[in-house]
Amino acid sequence: MSTLVIAPLLVALCTAILTLLARPSLRLQQGVSLLGAAAYLGAVAALFGRVVGGGETLAYQVGNWVAPFGIALVGDALSLFMLGLAALVSLGALAYAVLYVDDYGQRLTFHPLYHFMMVGVSGSFLTGDVFNLFVWFEVMLMSSYVLVLFYGGREHTRAALNYVVLNLLGSAVMLVAIGGLYATTGTLNMADLARRLADPAAYGVNVLPVLGLAAVLFSVFALKAGIVPFQFWVPAAYRAAPAPVTAMLAGVVKKVGVYAIVRLYFTVFAAASLPTALSFPGLAGDSTLAFFGPVLFLMATASIVLGGVGAVGRDDLDSVLAFSSISQVGFIVLPLAVAATVPAVRVLGVAAGLVYAFNHGLAKSLLFLVAGTVRESVGSTEFADLGGIAGRSPLLSATFFVGALSLIGVPPLSGFFGKFLVFDVAARAFATSATGAVATLAVALLGAVLTIAYYTRAWNAAFWGEPSTRVREFLGDDRSVVPDGGQSTAENALTLGGMVAILVGFTVAIVAFGIGFDAVYGAAEAAARAAVDTGGYVDAVAPAEVIE
Amino acid sequence: MTQFVLAAVLGLLFAFGTFLVLRRDVVRVVWGVTIISQAANVYLVTMGGLEGLAPIGHGHGGGGPAVTDPLVQALVLTAIVIGFGTSALALVLTYRLYQEHGTIDVYELGGSQ
Repeated sequence: MSTLVIAPLLVALCTAILTLLARPSLRLQQGVSLLGAAAYLGAVAALFGRVVGGGETLAYQVGNWVAPFGIALVGDALSLFMLGLAALVSLGALAYAVLYVDDYGQRLTFHPLYHFMMVGVSGSFLTGDVFNLFVWFEVMLMSSYVLVLFYGGREHTRAALNYVVLNLLGSAVMLVAIGGLYATTGTLNMADLARRLADPAAYGVNVLPVLGLAAVLFSVFALKAGIVPFQFWVPAAYRAAPAPVTAMLAGVVKKVGVYAIVRLYFTVFAAASLPTALSFPGLAGDSTLAFFGPVLFLMATASIVLGGVGAVGRDDLDSVLAFSSISQVGFIVLPLAVAATVPAVRVLGVAAGLVYAFNHGLAKSLLFLVAGTVRESVGSTEFADLGGIAGRSPLLSATFFVGALSLIGVPPLSGFFGKFLVFDVAARAFATSATGAVATLAVALLGAVLTIAYYTRAWNAAFWGEPSTRVREFLGDDRSVVPDGGQSTAENALTLGGMVAILVGFTVAIVAFGIGFDAVYGAAEAAARAAVDTGGYVDAVAPAEVIE
Repeated sequence: MTQFVLAAVLGLLFAFGTFLVLRRDVVRVVWGVTIISQAANVYLVTMGGLEGLAPIGHGHGGGGPAVTDPLVQALVLTAIVIGFGTSALALVLTYRLYQEHGTIDVYELGGSQ
């Protein structure tokens, strides 16, 4: 038992409350907010050292109530991998937001909401209780509703309504699934759930309804992660939210859905064996994962194709990035599908998905922030208004170039290894002559080609070529490193310069994680091992036996 | 007997909520969502079993008839509070939508860019 597990949660919660108290002074509020995000990174780093460095899984029983009666918070390598990504992206996006969001908006609600969202994200990553997961989802969503609605204009209200109604329905469906799970298994603690599912006869659990309820729950996580066919809210919500919030939604909040899929399906539900009557022909194993493998594969394929084709056809930078985000989530889920189907590559498959999620979190956040900077300096992200930014603002363009190359998968950027591992997993599955390995390779290849197509198009339309009239008007002629924002006041130039500096920071991180990929892969592999190690998870939480 | 009545009521609530969510009027959509989340709450209560006394009726030191599972009721209280907050937000949002677009018809909203 260790109280260090709740450190990230407490830091985020205290920061949120302090930023509420610091509202009279904008500078103080910004300082507290940034300091809080840095402290959050510190808390996660300390926990990361204990868990991944020390190789132990820490469990914290809230109020000292023994699991499964109380709520358990569990810090294992998987949780810490996701927390690390969240801490990195959130600090960068927050620093950007201080410059990007107007002073009135920041003073009004931005900082508390941002940190409450981080509270929800941290709680979702740490909790070891299914109902508690629902509560953290709601904490996270409640803040994100208001952040999507932040500008309160025509398009924003409409996008936010879609987002709110969909997620409210998702919450109701999640409640139904959780209630059903409780009724059939008699527990909500994830470790206890896994233990009961592993030995259903001893606990009087009927596995068949659990499989159905797990599928219902899956649709909710897919909605959060924006996987086809639950992707339709993504483009409108991403366009409506302020750029740093979009960076967080795409970089971190989406990954909460991915995390929930990995945690619940690979750690918990994987413990259950399918009744033999349900086993699918041609698939190895009778684990519940064998049922979800084909489902994951179909959804990943649909996401990659639909997102990719959608992105190729869009005419503004924000929409291209939003559709690209759907496509890239497909790339995260694709290795998970292989891992679920082929037990031989399970650890590698989960690790590949996590590495891809990490890279996508960094690179897509960077690209959304670049789009925000373009909007701030040129006043539009429509391709019709853009063109030739590279000649006017080389540094800004270079950050977009690196981010796009990372998602395309060019060495030595961190994205190369993400793509490489996806192909590696598919190839290894092919070597074990698993069903669908060829299809997986084909889908990954098609997705890679589509990625190249839409980023090339975006680069050509917005950054390459002759400067458009609007770019000529708003960006200086003198090839200045810093876009001067039209009015070329000193303060304006300083703000945009600061934004570009943060973008460069993201770029450096992408290059650094690519060069020092060994460390990232080490953490991802530890996370994947923790994800598939149901026994270790149960032992760490050590739920008490319930006397019926 | 109670089970069948509750099952029928739950089915009706979910059906009615779904019907409202599919309407063109945004206010009805919000009502529909609210009804569906309330139906989910009622469903949660039934998941703890319908037999037994109210949990507060249990005597100290054991003995007496069994009580129903109090956990689901704790869950439902949490879910009600969350649902209350989100419903309020959805209603305020509906009003903002009307202010911004001058309509709450989903079809007209879809057409106005």
